[in-house]
Amino acid sequence: MSSKESCRSELRIAIRQLSDRCLYTASKWEAEQLVGIEQDPAKFTPSNTRFQRGSSSIRRKYRTHEIAATPIAGVSYVATPVMEEDELVDGDFYLLAKSYFDCREYKRAAHVLRDQTGRKSVFLRCYALYLAGEKRKEEEMIELEGPLGKSDSVNRELVSLERELSMLCKNGTIDPFGLYLYGLVLKQKGSENLARTVLVESVNSYPWNWNAWTELRSLCSTIDILNTVNLNSHWMKDFFLASAYQELRMHNESLSKYEYLLGTFGNSNYIQAQIAKAQYSLREFDQVEALFEELMRSDPYRVEDMDMYSNVLYAKESFSALSYLAHRVFMTDKYRPESCCIIGNYYSLKGQHEKSVMYFRRALKLNKNYLSAWTLMGHEFVEMKNTPAAVDAYRRAVDVDPCDYRAWYGLGQAYEMMGMPFYALHYFQKSVFLQPNDSRLWIAMAQCYETEQLRMLDEAIKCYKRAAACNDREAIALYQLAKLHAELGHPEEAASYYKKDLERMEDEEREGPNMVEALLYLARYYKLQDRFEEAEVYCTRLLDYSGPERETAKSLLRGMRSSQSILPSMDVERFPP
Amino acid sequence: MSGIFKQPGAFAITPHKVSVCILLKIYAPPAQISLPFPFSSVAHHNRLGLFLLSLTKSCDDILEPKLDELIHQLRMMSQNWMSTWIIDQLMTRLSSLSSPDDLFNFFIDIRGILGGPDSGAIEDDQIILDLNSNLGIFLRRCVLAFNLLSFEGVCHLLTNIGIYCKEEFSNCPPYEAPSLDDSSSNLETYSEYENMDLENFVYEKVSEEIEARKEANERIPFHLHVPNTLLSLVDDIDVPVDSASKQSEKVRVASPYGDPSSNMLRDDDPSGAVFLRTNWQVQGYLQEQADIIEKNGGAVSLNGFEIVLRQLRKLAPELHRVHFLSYLNSLSHDDYIAALENLHCYFDYSAGTEGLDFVPPAGSNSFGRYEVALLCLGMMHFHFGHPKLALEVLTEAVRVSQQQSNDTCLAYTLAAISNLLFENGISSTARLIGSSYSLFTSIGISLSVQQQLFVLLRGSLKRAESLKLKRLVASNHLAMAKFDLTHVQRPLLSFGPKASMKLSTCPVNVCKELRLSSHLISDFCNESSAMTIDGAFSTAWLRNLPKPTGSLLLCPENGSGSSSNVSQFCAQPTSIPGSVMQVLGSSYLLRATAWELYGSTPLARINALVHATCFADASSSSDTALAYVKLIQHLAVFKGYKEAFSALKIAEEKFLSVSKSQILLLKLQLLHDHALHRGHLKLAQKLCDELGVLASPVTGVDMNLKTEASLRHARTLLAANQFREAAAVAHSLFCMCYKYNLQVENASVLLLLAEIHKKSGNAVLGLPYALASLSFCQSFNLDLLKASATLTLAELWLSLGSSHATRALNLVHGAFPMILGHGGLELRSRAYIVEAKCYLSDTNFCVFDNYEIVIDSLRQASDELQLLEFHELAAEAFYLMAMVYDKLGQLEKREEAAASFQKHILALQNNKNEDDPLVSVL
Repeated sequence: MSSKESCRSELRIAIRQLSDRCLYTASKWEAEQLVGIEQDPAKFTPSNTRFQRGSSSIRRKYRTHEIAATPIAGVSYVATPVMEEDELVDGDFYLLAKSYFDCREYKRAAHVLRDQTGRKSVFLRCYALYLAGEKRKEEEMIELEGPLGKSDSVNRELVSLERELSMLCKNGTIDPFGLYLYGLVLKQKGSENLARTVLVESVNSYPWNWNAWTELRSLCSTIDILNTVNLNSHWMKDFFLASAYQELRMHNESLSKYEYLLGTFGNSNYIQAQIAKAQYSLREFDQVEALFEELMRSDPYRVEDMDMYSNVLYAKESFSALSYLAHRVFMTDKYRPESCCIIGNYYSLKGQHEKSVMYFRRALKLNKNYLSAWTLMGHEFVEMKNTPAAVDAYRRAVDVDPCDYRAWYGLGQAYEMMGMPFYALHYFQKSVFLQPNDSRLWIAMAQCYETEQLRMLDEAIKCYKRAAACNDREAIALYQLAKLHAELGHPEEAASYYKKDLERMEDEEREGPNMVEALLYLARYYKLQDRFEEAEVYCTRLLDYSGPERETAKSLLRGMRSSQSILPSMDVERFPP
Repeated sequence: MSGIFKQPGAFAITPHKVSVCILLKIYAPPAQISLPFPFSSVAHHNRLGLFLLSLTKSCDDILEPKLDELIHQLRMMSQNWMSTWIIDQLMTRLSSLSSPDDLFNFFIDIRGILGGPDSGAIEDDQIILDLNSNLGIFLRRCVLAFNLLSFEGVCHLLTNIGIYCKEEFSNCPPYEAPSLDDSSSNLETYSEYENMDLENFVYEKVSEEIEARKEANERIPFHLHVPNTLLSLVDDIDVPVDSASKQSEKVRVASPYGDPSSNMLRDDDPSGAVFLRTNWQVQGYLQEQADIIEKNGGAVSLNGFEIVLRQLRKLAPELHRVHFLSYLNSLSHDDYIAALENLHCYFDYSAGTEGLDFVPPAGSNSFGRYEVALLCLGMMHFHFGHPKLALEVLTEAVRVSQQQSNDTCLAYTLAAISNLLFENGISSTARLIGSSYSLFTSIGISLSVQQQLFVLLRGSLKRAESLKLKRLVASNHLAMAKFDLTHVQRPLLSFGPKASMKLSTCPVNVCKELRLSSHLISDFCNESSAMTIDGAFSTAWLRNLPKPTGSLLLCPENGSGSSSNVSQFCAQPTSIPGSVMQVLGSSYLLRATAWELYGSTPLARINALVHATCFADASSSSDTALAYVKLIQHLAVFKGYKEAFSALKIAEEKFLSVSKSQILLLKLQLLHDHALHRGHLKLAQKLCDELGVLASPVTGVDMNLKTEASLRHARTLLAANQFREAAAVAHSLFCMCYKYNLQVENASVLLLLAEIHKKSGNAVLGLPYALASLSFCQSFNLDLLKASATLTLAELWLSLGSSHATRALNLVHGAFPMILGHGGLELRSRAYIVEAKCYLSDTNFCVFDNYEIVIDSLRQASDELQLLEFHELAAEAFYLMAMVYDKLGQLEKREEAAASFQKHILALQNNKNEDDPLVSVL
């Protein structure tokens, strides 16, 4: 990786260039990374200490293993960006247009720049036109919603923009920003391959435009596509790869990339949030919570990604923390889908499902393709026993993202609730296919096979085995396996699973009816096997419990003693009951 | 709960509707007495009215026509100055709409042509639109829709009218392409892409696919696609239809994809303003397509229709029925994964509560109708040949419909289950159904599969009758008939040696059930489903526009070419729904099958003929193919192979892509028979292997096919004199048939075993088999098979020695009426030969006195066998003939017979030794 100082200077220039072109999201992101670069302790200045989190527990967590800081083969060959500035003549018009643009008067801005030929002006004009078209499109979407829900209004500027940009592209007078815009237009038009090529060209010649990277990421929908994309090495590529891995659900790869990036951008909120996201997918809720607490402290008005935090809080049932978070985002910006989701989560935790659905609906009004809102709304409908609505919501989630295993799982659950276990299996299979390492999914599927209507116990056993193999946290699988085997008359397997379950319970220091059941079964089993010593051990342990089992244990012990006291030769004549 | 955000069903005002309003105004200008200006006669005026009516009703498409299409149609409607005038009017009025205020005024104006509520008081002559007429309602809906528009909506309408007109004025290629993924990614194609005409592009894609298919076709081995080798095999039997078959091959390759006559590709026009037709029309379109797919799935091109559906999905995301159509489409093209996905998708979205046939329940049933989903899923698994899975799903459907007390669905599900049990004689269903269907558990006794089936059928029939589901009643009667045909009825509970019940099937019952099923047609004479018929009517009318003027309705077309079109057009409004015709048609097919089994070939043939001539249009193509198969089989048995093969060629052309397996199966059967008769054993074995491949469980298990394949395998082995192997195959086949309750097949397998023993010289061993077969035939009323079993029995007795000749002769004579009346060529000649042999071996028989009897029989036999090219038997007949002549001392005739004998023997041996052209083909 290039040195921190060079990164810093690259970023500083890039931010200026990006905001000159009104690519504000990108410049925001770059600026976040710029501040995220860790200061050298030598050059400590008091103004920077605010962003230092030297004492952070998180950093320690990720610094346990030293990351090899060797640069990736081939030094980033794109030097610090130096873009020629437009000639002064159109500078004045440009300034006017930019101020219009900043006031969101896009058409006006484009009009001012109509005859300008400088690259910056051309880009700004096209970009303003594009945004004007987008704005109009959004408005039309609401105006035009037809009787059958048609809302496919299109950006009417795309036609002329594509014509102009392709011309520029052919002339070779297009700059990386123009290429980015061209890629955007092509993507909207649906010609994805071409868009990908153009975007790759753009990021290869100007890697600091984060917008271009995100567009490119959304075009890399499979790992194969990602591998075929030919990118020059640059530290921005690592950011890209990390987020692309995350999209492709390769969480561990993504995590290691981010950890590597932390070496330079040690204080980046962005990276921290992304790490939290990956950990969330890996279901490491404690870590996620810690990360988000840290993030909240350093960036209290952040709304992005906070819905995930609320999910964690929901899972941990921390009412007050969730309400605090909801209050905070509500005060910051209530018309953000994330805020609505957080509030919805809060009401759901409170058991007020109607209200919670209302907020999820609001989130969806704000962004129709907001995946988690669809899924969460499905959960709410399940809680409200309105299964058809739940099915509808989940299905929409699946249509937004066919890889959302939660929605598939929800669909399965809904159908199971309706007493259609066999139909539900299809959905469970889908979800398990997408997330084969989640024991909960396997257990759900196994329970489906186990239902009274199906009683396909062999399949259930197979599923439980898979569940047990992938770190079943609630420890349901082992117990169920033992029970099923006992039911099917496989005493050896049953005993071994009971034993495993018992060991596990001992490890985790859990007590309960399962423990008693396991002990009783094992005691009886060993007695039948004539292994009285083991049987005695289990019986004695049973004596510690109250209830009928204790009496059973006593009588078992008595029986064993008496049979032992009789002549050993009698063993031959004893028949198993 | 369909759609969280929106309910479908509203009516949107579009430029096309504005045009129709303008035309309506021309049709009925306000306050005009008698004929308005441009019309020269009442007929012309009516014609415009009909045209407008058709425009609002036709459902041949999903998109509203463009202005140029509308103008084109107007021009077609009448070819004189009148249409020009109307078009001019339309154009000027459309282009005069230049500001929102013009639109407001236009719609206020339009209201004037509607009659008031007291329109009865108006004089006869005055032209006025009745408020409640179809056109009146259309107009009112337009006005209402306009009044409901917000200002933004009016602005959009105005812009759209602008685009709509501009497209007509300057036919510049419009831009916005729908998101078809570009297949090329290189930068050079930028400009090409820009100017690319999408229509061509799609077409190219499709035709590329056709090319690819074609190539693939050539490489694919024999049994999957067009078996070239088979074709040439048939050619070998010199039937002079060569050129036709070549041509058919070409068509066959092309047909499953690009269907040039269908206008589907046109639909994906990439222009800016596309508008859906009204909900009613779109649903009608979908319904029609569904009917077409059901009738003849192969005729709808997979990709072409999928493009339409994709577009529809984009334009109307809340119209979930589209998913169902894509399910049907992929189902008919055997795309399992897509079918599964689309089915689940449809029911997730609509909960089974969308579509034309849905009547919302009286109470608030929030559950939806997911049991229908299960029913469909079960049928799908059944279709793809996963009977176990299907049964599992259908069991769940039974349970859920009981829970939801959806009796209709329950009745259908039970029918589906019994259908399933029929088709795939599942050996043990006790667990599956017994655990869920309450009837069985209440009895508490495990029943045999056929008993379960019987109970199921009865239950389903009763339910259907009480619910007045006429179609289901009819098809249940058919199923009952099938059951009566193939299963012995046994008492349900007390079954054992003591039960003194005559174990036999009851032809009377079969007949009764078949008759009952035909009552369906009278129930439907008065009923008609308005939507499709209206729509189809209008669609047909619009398609017939270029016909000469004059009231088309009143004078039927005289002569020229498309008479079927017209008859269809005229007959449509009163016709019986297609599904009813289909059930009726299948009842005729079943009749044919029943008579085939019972042994009356003329009746079987007549019924198949009735189906092929009367129900060919209405019933599904596989049913029609089956009727053809029956007819061709009949030909082969009675007229010999030459005729059968030429008929087969015709059938193959008729059923190009559809139900290939049936026709293919028939072809293999015929070729196998032919090969066996001619003694081409290697070829026969190859054909047998092909059959085995067809029966392999890759595409699902078909018990009939399986038994057929191994039956033929055994027969081939028998012909090759490998008795032990043949007996082993036949034996295992018998076990399988017994396991799956295929009783009718059992009879023929037993007969085959008897034949094997007869040929191997173990007549004593063969006797019990023949007798067992006889008793099977008796209890199932299989008269023809019984006759042939009797014949075998006679042969067996005869081979035990001449002392049994009289007994054998009596047997043969007993079977003669049946054999001569209904038997095929082979059976008849065999009977003749056996008779002759009986006479000859009888010690009391004097050849000199009545040699004519013997010679006559033998001559008959040899003539018929020559038709069949059955060398072995023919040789035997000639040999006997020569012997008789020899005894009589008629040397000349003896030489003649001997020469014929030699010819046949040589033919038989040549096949074995020489490299036969037929063998080398394979």
